[in-house]
Amino acid sequence: MERAGGLRRERWLGYLFVAPMLVFLLGIILFPLGHAFLTSLYREAGVNIRFVGLGNYARLLDDPTFWNSLGVSVVFTVASVALHLVVAMPVALFVNGLRRGRTTLRLAFLTPWMVTPVLGAIAWVWLLDPHFGVANYLLRSVGAISENRIWLGEPGLALGSIVAVDVWRGFPFIMLIILAGLQTVPREEYEAASIDGAGALQRFLYVTLPHLRYLLVVATTLDVINTVRTFDIVAVMTKGGPVNATEVLPVLIFSTAFQANRFGPAAAIGVVLLGLLLIFSTLYVLLLQSERRERRI
Amino acid sequence: MTERKRVRTSGEGVSRRRVLQGLAAVAAVGGTRAAFGAAPAARSGTVTLQYQTANLTEKQYEPVWKEMLARFEAQNPNIKIEPILVARKDHWTKFVTAAKANQAPDVVAVDIATAAYNGYLHPLDDLWQAEPPSFRQAWTADAIKTASWKGKLYGLPSWGGIYGEIYNRDLVKQAGLDMSKPPFTWTEYLQWAKRLTKEGQQWALAVLGGKTDSTTRMLLMWIWSNGGEAFNADMTQATFASNPKTLEALEFYLGLDVTHKVVAPGAVNVNYLEQTTLFAQQKIATMRNAYWGVAKVVGDNPAITDKIAVAFPPMNTGTKVTMATMAADSISKDCKHAEAAWKFIKFVNDREWGIKRALVSNWMPLRTDLATDPEVKKDPMLVQFLEYGKVARAYPLPHPLWADIAANDIVGAVQSALLKQATVKDAFSKLDAALNAKFKEI
Repeated sequence: MERAGGLRRERWLGYLFVAPMLVFLLGIILFPLGHAFLTSLYREAGVNIRFVGLGNYARLLDDPTFWNSLGVSVVFTVASVALHLVVAMPVALFVNGLRRGRTTLRLAFLTPWMVTPVLGAIAWVWLLDPHFGVANYLLRSVGAISENRIWLGEPGLALGSIVAVDVWRGFPFIMLIILAGLQTVPREEYEAASIDGAGALQRFLYVTLPHLRYLLVVATTLDVINTVRTFDIVAVMTKGGPVNATEVLPVLIFSTAFQANRFGPAAAIGVVLLGLLLIFSTLYVLLLQSERRERRI
Repeated sequence: MTERKRVRTSGEGVSRRRVLQGLAAVAAVGGTRAAFGAAPAARSGTVTLQYQTANLTEKQYEPVWKEMLARFEAQNPNIKIEPILVARKDHWTKFVTAAKANQAPDVVAVDIATAAYNGYLHPLDDLWQAEPPSFRQAWTADAIKTASWKGKLYGLPSWGGIYGEIYNRDLVKQAGLDMSKPPFTWTEYLQWAKRLTKEGQQWALAVLGGKTDSTTRMLLMWIWSNGGEAFNADMTQATFASNPKTLEALEFYLGLDVTHKVVAPGAVNVNYLEQTTLFAQQKIATMRNAYWGVAKVVGDNPAITDKIAVAFPPMNTGTKVTMATMAADSISKDCKHAEAAWKFIKFVNDREWGIKRALVSNWMPLRTDLATDPEVKKDPMLVQFLEYGKVARAYPLPHPLWADIAANDIVGAVQSALLKQATVKDAFSKLDAALNAKFKEI
């Protein structure tokens, strides 16, 4: 009896110790979320604010700007995440295969990820400048283009450019995860495969990839969550232009709230974006749980 | 467990009651600190005012405002001014964010109509009326009207920018043109523009098509210079495509890029920063800008100082018209010390600072008594711009949605036409429809 009472007391004490942090977390996560949802139920016209229920959500369904942004967000996220992986994998394999200088190179490749996104984006704006930019100069020097390109001034090129900059900034994170995974692949399996006559490609396909499978899925899920909420690069480089060609959802939320002063509709878009993020977050949590179960078995 | 029990019985352990007592004590101390935290300022009677305008981060204004603030604080030891430094492009959004959180800076210079409509500003009528006539006479009725919304005064007109056509004398001369006879009509301007363009190396001008309201400023000037109007008189209807004069102006202006190719490439990314950089680097021979633009290009490239000439913007009608932007100092709704804020606003708009802003930073004075000041008259280019101001129309336009319309809706139509996604008429017909729908909502 005394032991049970002690355990109860101990549990209470535990709750008490975590209570301040719990209150803090509730304050910075649940309160803003609740407030955002509440805001999304109102529409304002100057100082007049009226309750419209789900009216802001209903209006989104008919809003071509929202659908355009959703489309841009999907294209941007899919392209960026896929390219993060495509670039990160060979770089990780290369760094992992090095006998010397691995740490130095790993740090070098991590540099774009360490740079503040806004500063990186500003640097890229100047690199891609049609008149003074290094990109045009270099490409003309090697004969890749005959005249200066307006990288951020044509819809297709602008979207391609921000994807490229996001790949530059985002691939090191994926590379780091893959590199960590590669270091756990047992060397004996490579040796056994080599004895069986497997070439480099076959070793990659039948030894490396199966070991990385789970890690790649987790990394991709995390990357989707990270990329779909990208704001800084786009806001700095194109502000969503030209003609909304790069207006991803977070940029649309920003312009709706802070330029158009329409906080209700902006909050509604924010809640929709949160829903999208929750889908991927749930997927991520489910993956983690399935991995834990597999390990237990 | 044994250890815990032992410690507790000894009376030195952490019991639930003691933890609760501890938390209560922390809360009490926190509360006391919070209560007394504000006390020193209150006791000493010092008031801190936050001050945010669009130009505090601009190099040419820095020496003036720093001196101005230091002098004000020296003269008013019980008022401290805290400048909020925000880049021009983020000025409005930073203000809105703060205002939404009921933390707007005390003294601000923002778009009056939009800010007043949204309830972000404090009416100044009582403070203004309490001033002697000798003070109030320094502002014209028009200037005061521009700083008002729905019959209430929300700002004291402080400084502005009057637009002219700024040329690079050297490039004009190299093209075999005579700077003493600048183009007066659109036809002459186009002839000049063609001569001033060397394909791939140099262009006559930059069309502004980037996603800020400077794109709209340029567009309006071209529209007005053809006798057109973008809106009806009470701003309840957009008339970009339905007014033939307006449409003609749009087709000519955007045609300089789309048809005549006398414009620096990449117009949809060009705003003031890019325009002034291109001019400073002598990539474009002319730019439509205010006097502050001269300070900016000279700051970027001092070698260009003596090459600058100014002329009146070309027109297509017999009526001269240009644009004058106006910045007015306002008190935000969140200001707890309106009297102190008003005192600061009056100081900022004192004769001395108006003249310094004009001579050092190239911001136009909006006090009528400064235009004829002997100090101001010593600067011939400043006088030239002030002369243009006599036929200038005020900007921003008095509409509560103006900030959004100017930086987003109109820019979208301009970009669409520049990228040839639609004809000028179609792009602006679509804009008219979108704006008219928007106007119905307010």
